[in-house]
Amino acid sequence: MSTQNLVETHNLTKQYGRFRCVNAVNMQVTSGAIYGFLGPNGAGKSTTLKMILGLARPTEGDITLFGIPVNEKNRIKLLSQTGSLIESPSYYGHLSGEENLRIIQTLKGCSKKDVDEVLKIVRLDSARHKLVNHYSLGMKQRLGLASALLGFPRLLILDEPTNGLDPAGIQEMRELICSLPSAYGMTVLVSSHLLSEIDQMADHVGIIRKGELVYQNTLESLHAHARSQIALRVSHAAVAADLLRQDGIDTSQEEDYLLFPMMEDSYVANLCRRLIAQNISLYRVEKRETSLEDIFLSLTGKESSL
Amino acid sequence: MITLRTEFQKIKRRRVGLTMSVLISVQFAWFLWATKSPGEKELAQGWIELLQILPLLNVIMMPTFMSVLASRLSDLEHKGNTYKQLKTLRRPGILFDAKVICGLLFVAAISIGQIAFLLVLGFCRHYLGSPDMHYYALALVFNFACCLSLYLLQLNLSLLFFNQMIPLVVGLCGSLLGLILMYIKMYSFLPWGGFLSCALAGMDWNIETRIVTYFYREHSAIEYCAIGMVFIWIIVFYVTGRIAFTRKEV
Repeated sequence: MSTQNLVETHNLTKQYGRFRCVNAVNMQVTSGAIYGFLGPNGAGKSTTLKMILGLARPTEGDITLFGIPVNEKNRIKLLSQTGSLIESPSYYGHLSGEENLRIIQTLKGCSKKDVDEVLKIVRLDSARHKLVNHYSLGMKQRLGLASALLGFPRLLILDEPTNGLDPAGIQEMRELICSLPSAYGMTVLVSSHLLSEIDQMADHVGIIRKGELVYQNTLESLHAHARSQIALRVSHAAVAADLLRQDGIDTSQEEDYLLFPMMEDSYVANLCRRLIAQNISLYRVEKRETSLEDIFLSLTGKESSL
Repeated sequence: MITLRTEFQKIKRRRVGLTMSVLISVQFAWFLWATKSPGEKELAQGWIELLQILPLLNVIMMPTFMSVLASRLSDLEHKGNTYKQLKTLRRPGILFDAKVICGLLFVAAISIGQIAFLLVLGFCRHYLGSPDMHYYALALVFNFACCLSLYLLQLNLSLLFFNQMIPLVVGLCGSLLGLILMYIKMYSFLPWGGFLSCALAGMDWNIETRIVTYFYREHSAIEYCAIGMVFIWIIVFYVTGRIAFTRKEV
């Protein structure tokens, strides 16, 4: 699979009055990836996605879709290879699910068979003739996803697609999104304020905080940041640290504690013996975990819900 | 054409045609009442009388009718938050044009329906002579232009405001203003007074003999300007509405 970036933003900025809700975002979404766009509520996720879709004009910066810089002339043509679901689903309540999709199908110029197929994918085929006003929120959300899937675009942009869904619906939506790259060769850009959700769906992640992209890499790389440490509380931490360093053991000091990278139990026992032999009192041995949540919270300023 | 086709797909079950037919039938009922049991004089002047009544009824009713039409065509987009999807599929200008043309077709149907009704009414009432088709054709054009200018104004408001009460109240105020304008002058540069400016027939009521005489109006230079203003309003409302719609972020 090509590693071409389907979406690239360069210094993408949006300012309302004096407030910069998106500030110099450089986003890169690789072809075939599920890119999780993560951030607390109000961080600028929706605004960024709206700018990519041309629904909001950037104050500064450029957007490249499928390797082509987007301008007003080619915007619609480039977006024809894109499906989107922004914030809440778009629908005509007085029409049936199928009639809604027929409108989008007409505008997208895709095959009529696509309507049947996407209805099956989102499991709405039994409710296709029901008026959308009579749909539950979950069904409306699935209809929104069906609209986005029409024409089987190369790129799918989903803004908080599990909003308002019950746990079963969330699970269903998540499985569906995860299956899209392998089943239809789609690249998915999905936003959420829930780390757990992105953790279960995405393979790439971008974290936005107060309009700034504070992290962007593979989810694997983010997981690598999540590490465990051994902490020893000792009587004379500075002296103990020096002694250990002289023995070639790398450690860092944090108040009364000495911190070590995760190690086997036998090494820990050895370490303790050495310190006691040097007349250093050992008060406590702790295992410290830096979880994905801790990293996310440190990146986003502890403002998000997990 | 494809975008226009979807406009008609969207209004399925919205009964826009039925709503407008019911509203227009109120006007037709008024016509039937206003022209009931004609005397000898009315029979002789009946064809001109119809052209004199038409703009007076339109100036009162059409601002409200057009606000209803524009609202029926626009509120479905607000309710379903659809523009954030539609604007990724079509240029905003094309979406606006489709809405304009969709409404324009209804306006054309209403205008043709009104003139057709007047002709049928005249023949049913056995008015003397034959209708002056030149004036009736001109009335059709003016009627259409005045309705279109009001429709465009109302469409812009309906697309701008989520709450459709605002454009509907503007429409009702327009009707009220039309009623007031009618008693001031037989022309106006305001969009709601276009029907008065374009009125082809006038009425002379002799207070002593209490005889009503209808006549075809000879427009003065300022009245011609007022007629021209109707067409200027169409351009102004179309251009400003299109720009506002295109620039609006969703």
